Amino acid sequence: MEIPIEYYLLLSAFMFIVGVVGVLTRRNAIIVFMSIELMLNSANLTMVAYSSFLGNSVGQLFVFFVMTVAAAEAAIGLAIIIAMFRNKKTLNIDEINILKW
Amino acid sequence: MNQIVDSLQYIKPEISAAIFLVVIVIVDLVMGKNKKYLSPIMIIGLLVTGFFIIDQFKFSSFAFMSENNKYGLLSIDSFGSFFKLLIVFSSIIIVFFTISSDEIKKAKERLGEYYTLIWGMILGMFFMIIAADLIVIYLAIELLSLSSYVLAGITKDTLRNSEASLKYVIYGGVSSGIMLFGISILYGITGTTNIYEINGLLQSQQIQGLIVTLSAILIFAGIGFKISVAPFHFWTPDVYEGAPITITAYLSVASKAAGFALLFRFTKITFIDSINADGSWNIISLIDWRSFLIIISILTMTLGNFAALWQNNMKRLLAYSSIAHAGYLLLGLIAFSNEGMMAVMIYFVIYAIMNLGAFFVVMLIANKIGSEELDDYKGLGKTAPVLTVSLGIFMISLIGLPPTAGFIGKLYLFLALINSNMILIAFIALLNTVVSVYYYVRVLKYLFIDSSEKEIAPFGVTIPNLILLLILVIPTLILGVYFTPLVEFAKYSITLLGF
Amino acid sequence: MENFPILSLLIFLPIIGMVLILALPKDKDKTIKWLTLVITGIQVILAVIILFFFNFSLGGINDPSSFQFVEKLRWIEISGLAWVGKIKIDYFLGIDGISVVLILLTTIVTFIATLASWNISKSLKGYFALFLLLDTAMLGVFVSLDFFLFYVFWELMLLPMYFLIGVWGGPRREYAAIKFFLYTLLGSIFILLVMIGLYFSATETLVDGSKVFTFNLLALMDPANYNVTGILSPLNPNNLRFIAYIALFIGFAIKIPMFPFHTWLPDAHVEAPTAISVILAGILLKMGTYGILRISFPIFPEITQQLAWYIGLFGLINIIYGALAAMAQKDFKRLIAYSSVSHMGYVLLGMASLSTAGITGAVLQMFNHGIITAMLFIIVGIIYDRTHTREINAFGGLANQMPVYTGFVMVAFFAAIGLPGLSGFISEVLVFVGAFGNELIRVLTIIATLGILLGAGYMLWAFQRIYLGTLKDKWKELTDLTFIEYCMLVPLTIIIIVLGVYPSVILQFMSASVNAIVKFMANANIIHSSISTF
Repeated sequence: MEIPIEYYLLLSAFMFIVGVVGVLTRRNAIIVFMSIELMLNSANLTMVAYSSFLGNSVGQLFVFFVMTVAAAEAAIGLAIIIAMFRNKKTLNIDEINILKW
Repeated sequence: MNQIVDSLQYIKPEISAAIFLVVIVIVDLVMGKNKKYLSPIMIIGLLVTGFFIIDQFKFSSFAFMSENNKYGLLSIDSFGSFFKLLIVFSSIIIVFFTISSDEIKKAKERLGEYYTLIWGMILGMFFMIIAADLIVIYLAIELLSLSSYVLAGITKDTLRNSEASLKYVIYGGVSSGIMLFGISILYGITGTTNIYEINGLLQSQQIQGLIVTLSAILIFAGIGFKISVAPFHFWTPDVYEGAPITITAYLSVASKAAGFALLFRFTKITFIDSINADGSWNIISLIDWRSFLIIISILTMTLGNFAALWQNNMKRLLAYSSIAHAGYLLLGLIAFSNEGMMAVMIYFVIYAIMNLGAFFVVMLIANKIGSEELDDYKGLGKTAPVLTVSLGIFMISLIGLPPTAGFIGKLYLFLALINSNMILIAFIALLNTVVSVYYYVRVLKYLFIDSSEKEIAPFGVTIPNLILLLILVIPTLILGVYFTPLVEFAKYSITLLGF
Repeated sequence: MENFPILSLLIFLPIIGMVLILALPKDKDKTIKWLTLVITGIQVILAVIILFFFNFSLGGINDPSSFQFVEKLRWIEISGLAWVGKIKIDYFLGIDGISVVLILLTTIVTFIATLASWNISKSLKGYFALFLLLDTAMLGVFVSLDFFLFYVFWELMLLPMYFLIGVWGGPRREYAAIKFFLYTLLGSIFILLVMIGLYFSATETLVDGSKVFTFNLLALMDPANYNVTGILSPLNPNNLRFIAYIALFIGFAIKIPMFPFHTWLPDAHVEAPTAISVILAGILLKMGTYGILRISFPIFPEITQQLAWYIGLFGLINIIYGALAAMAQKDFKRLIAYSSVSHMGYVLLGMASLSTAGITGAVLQMFNHGIITAMLFIIVGIIYDRTHTREINAFGGLANQMPVYTGFVMVAFFAAIGLPGLSGFISEVLVFVGAFGNELIRVLTIIATLGILLGAGYMLWAFQRIYLGTLKDKWKELTDLTFIEYCMLVPLTIIIIVLGVYPSVILQFMSASVNAIVKFMANANIIHSSISTF
């Protein structure tokens, strides 16, 4: 049975919103990062769904690039978090406040 | 296949940047602790790249076209070359800043990585400027962002640095996530990622305006983050304050220039219907792009200017000032005319010179007195006359008072704006300028009117730094009274492929 | 004489002086002072040479051929594209009967102000460098015939003034300086907007027959040059000329300063050092009224006619309000500052009459007020230098202790009141004659005569409190005038008396121009109304 495209889109919109809410409400830097990943993946899901719906491969191609970039971003993000943790011994972004937010 | 080989001639500057990135890595590896060759190699690399860009002004063509359509991944035109040249210019200046920066000297063992990442930024910015495809836009922005996240925290020992870096990466990650979501929607409703094809579809087909508006706004979030307009500006003051000053200066000029070039190309190509004989643009009526930009622009400049009033840290003050300038620069886009585009190009050259100059003086002063706080600037007018008078000139130019270059930049923006009959917007922007006077002049007050409580021995400038300073001060003054060459150059470079 | 760029020499001489001063070593205090004095002295001589070669019969105002000492060079020229016209800005200088009077005033007052700066000791080099920059800017405003050039000089004046008040001023100098800066900048954004609007509304025909947008003030005065679509074009039925006029007027009114934009003036005056007060009251205030006369009036003649009554009304408010405020002051310098507000009201009233007598009176009043106020501020400065107070009630009976000084004070005070035989009288009479002759503002004029009474009141009352009565013990040590103070007061006194007895010395220069502007305003109204009926 064919699943209509709206279902995919609703799911990805839901994932995106969960990601945004996570970024806004969570205080642990690692969880914030996970939420960002969720946002990126919701976009990936949209792209793959549209790609299959439109019968056009550009979307799937794009997803590969996004996954690569997301991996790089996670690597850099984690490296920065480690540098921060060494200095400050905390990951709570409320306590990272020498510079006014 | 032939197409790909043919297209290589169009991306010589990018190839050159990539090669020099590798060269820096190799030289750094081979030379080990000896870092003295890195800066000269940077300069050579930038000059070579700059040469290729000048050579490129003659092209106006797509690169990397696929067999079945007439558009390519990249569009090579003089508009792009203009901004690339601006980026090479600011990169050269930044390399000289780096050579005399005490902050970077402390982290000397990481100079190789530092320069490598700068090349990464340059490469990202180059592709941002010429991108004609959403995939390239996304990848270029990410390349720029990832390099700059690390650069913001390059001297990782200080807490300020790593905090700036962390904040930058979180904000950057969120905004690129939002932008990607917007891109996915735009791809979904048009079935293509090429902005020229999207434009064709928007012109011909019935596409729901609401969804296009939503995706355009989401994509704007990503670009808006790079050019730091409200409400995507929150990272700017923190990152500018925390990052090493060379990187702050670089972010405020080069990364913003690339962002604006991308914004112009994206807006003009995607949402334009046709251009009238007088150079004004007809925007596809599907979305009210202009009202949106007007709100963003006024919000940005007002917020930037008012927040700057309370700042006591020079870097933070300049950060808010650069936010306010992003608001002014958006005015050029709001005019929706070739004239507005030309005004932004003119403004950007001037902005680059005066802003780099201001940061340079702040850096030299910080090298001596170890502080960027305004309270420590009291009475410096007496102890360091050359530096402070230069800083004064840059501040006056940032306000936009004649006879400095800043006035010419603002004048062209307002000419474009009033020619598009947006007098009220121009008036609001000018009122903002009056507000901005307060904080720029406050710096002058600290420098020249207040007297210092502490004893500071008078200090001058070394000859190489003085030369660099003059390279920035003299155009700031000359362009204020004789700006013909600059305008001619901008006019010559205004061709944007497609329209 | 025809081709010698005497105006350029006049306005850029101080810049040369500034560069020389900056190049001198720090400790050459004497050299710096003398250099400035020599340069301002040469300027006075140049101004006299200009007067000597000036042709009385040429009117100027809107006619390019009857301006004198014209220098016109292409400054910026950018060839056009399909969608953007050619851009050109001229370096266009020239003078007519109105500007020549103000040039003379500027050079004299600047020379006197240099003498008044003789006692400055703090960062002398910076002071005189900024002083000379200010000099260039002021003269530039009075000789520019291109709006862009005018605006550049107009704004150039801000910064030196800010520092001169801010660094060398009194205790609340920072507040006064920034207030001055913000107010004036607020005014200039209005001017800038109108300037850009006018630029897009009018074209000038070049020698080769092509039409370009223009900043040329004289071209902007000709209704034939306007295009149909321009927002400030009289040919455009939906034009915004009315709003633009008010905006431009506010821009200039802040500088005058006209009530209710006057609040920067007392603060700036009280905090500024004597020489800067002299410049501020003697020259800067005139830039506002000069701007109205040179730009607002001839470019927007039809709206000037419509609003003449309101201009007169604001003139009246200035006269009365300034006088009443002056009466309430306890600070001598503040009193003089408010008297300036009152006296500038006469200039506005005279201009509002749009009659020959009224405008002659207004221009003469600009000159006379410049000289008289300069003298009054020097008088305040002299007493402040000796006693370090400006409290009016702290003095008393100084006439016995400093008789020569008090003699000069009497001349200045009576001139300010408008006593016959002294210069202030002539200009006030002309203003009243002109304003009374215009039925529209006759009632305002009658009320304004009250200003003379009030003026006499506050001046004489202040004179009585400061110079008459019994001398306080602590002022028994005061000495009379020094040589430099004589050098400042004597020339000003001579001018005041000569112009009081024989005003034609100055009037002959301006009569042709005043007639030209009156005629132009009357004719322009007819032309404009015929355009609007099309």
